Amino acid sequence: MSESEKFDAIIVGAGPAGAACAYTLAREGKEVLVIERGDTPGSKNVTGGRIYTYALEMLDQGLSEEAALERKVTREQVMLLGGQRAITIDFHDPSFNRDGHPPMSYTVLRAPFDEWLAGKAEEMGAMVACGIRVDGLIEKDGKITGVIAGEDEMYADVVVAADGVNSLLAQKAGLIGEIDFNTVGVGVKEVIELPASTIEERFRLTNPEEGVACMILGCTEGIHGGGFLYTNKESISLGCVFMPGEVARHKKSIQEIFQDLKMHPAVYPLIAGGETVEYSGHLVGEAGYRGIPKQIYREGFVMIGDAAGFVINTGYSVRGMDLAILSGIAAARAIVNASSPAEIGPLYMQELERIQLLPTMRATDGYFDVLQTGWLYDRMPALATAVMADLYSVDAQPPAKLSRGIREQMKAHGISVWDVIKLGFKGVKI
Amino acid sequence: MAGVFVYSDKSGIALELVGCAKAAGKEAMVIVFSQEAAEEVKNSGADRVFILQGDNEVPENYAQAVADFLKEKSAELFLVGATARGRDLAARVAGYLDCPMASDVSAISFGDGKVTTERMIYGGAVTQKEELTGLSVVTVAGGKYAPIEGSAEVETVTVTPDNRVQLVERAPVERKGVNLQAADRVVCVGMGVEKEEDMQMIRDLAAVLNAEIGCTRGIAEEKHWLPPEQYIGISGAVIKPQLCVSIGISGQVQHTIGIRDSKVIVAVNNNEKAPIFKTCDYGIVGDLYEVVPLLIEELKK
Amino acid sequence: MSKIVACYKWVLDESDIRINSDLSVDFSKAKGKISDYDRNAIEAAVKLAEAVGAKPVGLTFGSSKARQSLKDALSRGLEEAFWVKAEEAENADGAVTARALAAGIKAMGDVALVICAEGASDTYARQTASRIGALLDLPVVTSVLRVTVEGNTVTAVRKLDDCLETVKFELPGVISVLPEAFQPTIPGLKAVMAAGKKPVTEYDCGSLGVNLVSARKVMEVKAYAQERRNIIIEGDNAAAKVAAVVSNLKKEGVL
Ligand SMILES: Cc1cc2nc3c(=O)[nH]c(=O)nc-3n(C[C@H](O)[C@H](O)[C@H](O)COP(=O)(O)OP(=O)(O)OC[C@H]3O[C@@H](n4cnc5c(N)ncnc54)[C@H](O)[C@@H]3O)c2cc1C
Ligand SMILES: Cc1cc2nc3c(=O)[nH]c(=O)nc-3n(C[C@H](O)[C@H](O)[C@H](O)COP(=O)(O)OP(=O)(O)OC[C@H]3O[C@@H](n4cnc5c(N)ncnc54)[C@H](O)[C@@H]3O)c2cc1C
Ligand SMILES: Nc1ncnc2c1ncn2[C@@H]1O[C@H](COP(=O)(O)O)[C@@H](O)[C@H]1O
Repeated sequence: MSESEKFDAIIVGAGPAGAACAYTLAREGKEVLVIERGDTPGSKNVTGGRIYTYALEMLDQGLSEEAALERKVTREQVMLLGGQRAITIDFHDPSFNRDGHPPMSYTVLRAPFDEWLAGKAEEMGAMVACGIRVDGLIEKDGKITGVIAGEDEMYADVVVAADGVNSLLAQKAGLIGEIDFNTVGVGVKEVIELPASTIEERFRLTNPEEGVACMILGCTEGIHGGGFLYTNKESISLGCVFMPGEVARHKKSIQEIFQDLKMHPAVYPLIAGGETVEYSGHLVGEAGYRGIPKQIYREGFVMIGDAAGFVINTGYSVRGMDLAILSGIAAARAIVNASSPAEIGPLYMQELERIQLLPTMRATDGYFDVLQTGWLYDRMPALATAVMADLYSVDAQPPAKLSRGIREQMKAHGISVWDVIKLGFKGVKI
Repeated sequence: MAGVFVYSDKSGIALELVGCAKAAGKEAMVIVFSQEAAEEVKNSGADRVFILQGDNEVPENYAQAVADFLKEKSAELFLVGATARGRDLAARVAGYLDCPMASDVSAISFGDGKVTTERMIYGGAVTQKEELTGLSVVTVAGGKYAPIEGSAEVETVTVTPDNRVQLVERAPVERKGVNLQAADRVVCVGMGVEKEEDMQMIRDLAAVLNAEIGCTRGIAEEKHWLPPEQYIGISGAVIKPQLCVSIGISGQVQHTIGIRDSKVIVAVNNNEKAPIFKTCDYGIVGDLYEVVPLLIEELKK
Repeated sequence: MSKIVACYKWVLDESDIRINSDLSVDFSKAKGKISDYDRNAIEAAVKLAEAVGAKPVGLTFGSSKARQSLKDALSRGLEEAFWVKAEEAENADGAVTARALAAGIKAMGDVALVICAEGASDTYARQTASRIGALLDLPVVTSVLRVTVEGNTVTAVRKLDDCLETVKFELPGVISVLPEAFQPTIPGLKAVMAAGKKPVTEYDCGSLGVNLVSARKVMEVKAYAQERRNIIIEGDNAAAKVAAVVSNLKKEGVL
């Protein structure tokens, strides 16, 4: 390519957002350059571990079948931990995995998945340059016209920031400020290898295609956050997300709390004997709709995926990868349909509505308030497990009346009826 | 004349290799390229010493001649000391013969028309046993076999070396004579050390421990803060002290292969995920600039 | 324009190798990479070619997996890549490797200088350069620390066990360079982009007439097991950790 030549779009970041955007643009015949700082796409990327297939199908029909995915989620679990006690709720709905339809969601490991998706974009004709970190943006007459990477400058009609949470490019473009530690969580995660058959036994799965997605409450010592566990083909992804501000004030470190989770009597048997082959930490957006920056484009510049704050955390599931893909598609559609670079941004906002991304985020906005409820993370699981303990304790004494028992336990755990009503009220607004 | 033909530019290794071949009940012939070299090996207990006489001072330039000679003598094995020169000559001979070669083997055993060798691959993480059939070439590092004694007949054969590579100059490099292999304690230092001045701290630590100093390849070959004979690993020295203290070393296998015979290994590294912590007995996750002075102080107590 | 050829090998990353409890080795999770020191050889080819106005090219003998190496190698300044392809390359010994590379060198033609690295990071056999030289009957200089080319004359300083040896020869020839001789540069964006557009020539071992049969058989591959305690000393501060280590060492009787 000659120095003066210019791309239709430069996409920074080959995560799901960037790769989906590149795929769509390249399919439409656009000249696209994807720049990724990892030596291979996904090499350092972190996610919990579950992706919803509808987004891949929207990118291209049939994609979810050939994607580098792990196990289809056939069982949804929630685990409440209180001290050494644990309650596991196990939900199964065959309609999530009907014959002839793509399963609703899969567990996923990012390194193979991202490499595969970026590879698809490359097959479509996008150019993917790995091992290159973008350091800055080129601006001319108030418009963004390209990127700077080391000594090199590269120009495009539009630069797509798909560089993830706490986007450097969005900061450089002046669209976000310094990171706000009240709206992001810190995630830590281990990938623990176990033979497929062991995983199937421990999680009562009947075959290597089936898997479990589990959210864990009560494992964060009262810090806002929670744990997650996903079964992959031959490994388990186990992790925890915390609000960093609270961690700083807490006496235990994240590593210690996470270590306690691993050692919990309800968790340890699931991972026992496994070998930790990967340990990683990453930020995750927690503020949902409110976490989206006021402005997510400028002339010559759009933000997609985590860079734009598109993550939904409902407490029982995290959705970021599907929204990343949707926003990548939306941005690509806007770029393809715009008749001038100035039109891209406004069109992108329309596409985000059309593709149901913004409506979905608005619809789940209330979760943020619910999840602000401090006692959800320690007292609630403690209460629930204590009530269970009462229920299941049998001795020579006549059992206490159930309703009184619960009231007493609520009192003992410092949760008032008023607290529950307030929470219910927040919940009703969702 | 079947049998094992031996060569090393270090006559000490040639003696050991003769010992190796003879111990296996093989006939052993030594190849040298000069009268002086012949003198040094004529009491090696070899069956014969052959001087391949030509007018070139670089032994590797005799590769074609050696290959022809081995073929003519129906040699079964060319056993070569694994020095820089030895490896080059050996591989060139193997190339001219287009025959199998095993480099830097840790074990060798002789079979009928075959040799079986063991060597490290993947930097030392894995050992591989190989069987070489027919005339083969094997290189072995010094220090593995015991020399024997006994005088050998010396025969001179005139050959034509390859004169295309000409020697311009040879500058000997002084060896400092640190005997790491014999040391009881070794402080090993890596690229975690930032400046040459900071090496003083390492010397101080070595002094209180009464230890020798070893290092990783980069410290010797890139930074030149220590002489090359002090770096440890697959391409450097292999040590087996009672105590090895590893400072600011990531612990890649190419290096740790050289320390893994130590009785106790202590590692200091500020990156808790550094692989050295998987190769050590005691690990301190911490800044060496903080830990080393404390160690010196504690050891002085 | 005559070519300066850098030979590079696509190897498995040794840090991804897993060791099973029975000491068998699991390579299945290992990713590929350009052998560490071969990046230095590539740099050497690029630098020397620049100095004498030759064309730096890459040559690899590899299985279909080696396709992944091409862009990486080309982003490091090589202008063209040649790939001698055979699935047998994955476990090839030095004899087969050198035959394949020598055949590739002959086929590409007009080669002034062949550069290998000191040793591949998987086999570290340190024999390939010498073997290629012998097969092509070219002058060979190994363990090169410094090298200059003037006209047709190559002057090289070799670092040997006990001396620095300066030698010279007339092109064409084969050298192996020490990793210390040339520091690889990290490719920039333009270099990475340009790599995708550079020409690649694939050779088939059959049509080159490469004999892939080896007289070496691999009998056993076994992991080296290391029994270490791996105790990470915990403590409130560095001084406490240091004291704990020292007291442990005393108990062990190594102080
Ligand atoms: C612990 C945790 C658990 C999660 N669990 C789930 C889950 O189960 N399901 C789900 O759907 N989502 C989950 N998420 C969220 C999800 O991972 C993200 O929303 C998703 O990865 C966003 O994709 P992206 O492409 O926008 O960004 P990323 O995946 O972060 O990709 C950004 C890419 O840009 C590259 N990059 C960054 N800066 C530069 C630069 N300057 N130059 C070049 N390249 C650059 C990075 O290397 C990276 O490849 C989780 C997140 C975390 C942290
Ligand atoms: C074929 C081949 C052969 C090789 N042969 C050898 C050999 O024989 N010998 C050899 O040594 N290497 C050899 N190598 C190189 C080897 O792979 C490693 O690259 C090398 O050993 C790394 O040296 P290092 O640990 O000093 O440096 P690095 O890998 O750079 O590690 C430096 C370490 O210091 C730590 N650190 C930094 N600052 C501090 C601080 N303030 N406090 C505490 N810790 C700190 C870092 O966390 C890091 O882990 C070979 C490589 C190949 C491919
Ligand atoms: N398969 C291969 N393809 C290209 N070059 C190779 C190959 N194998 C070895 N080499 C080159 O030869 C050098 C020495 O390899 P080795 O003799 O295996 O240690 C390597 O560093 C490369 O430069």
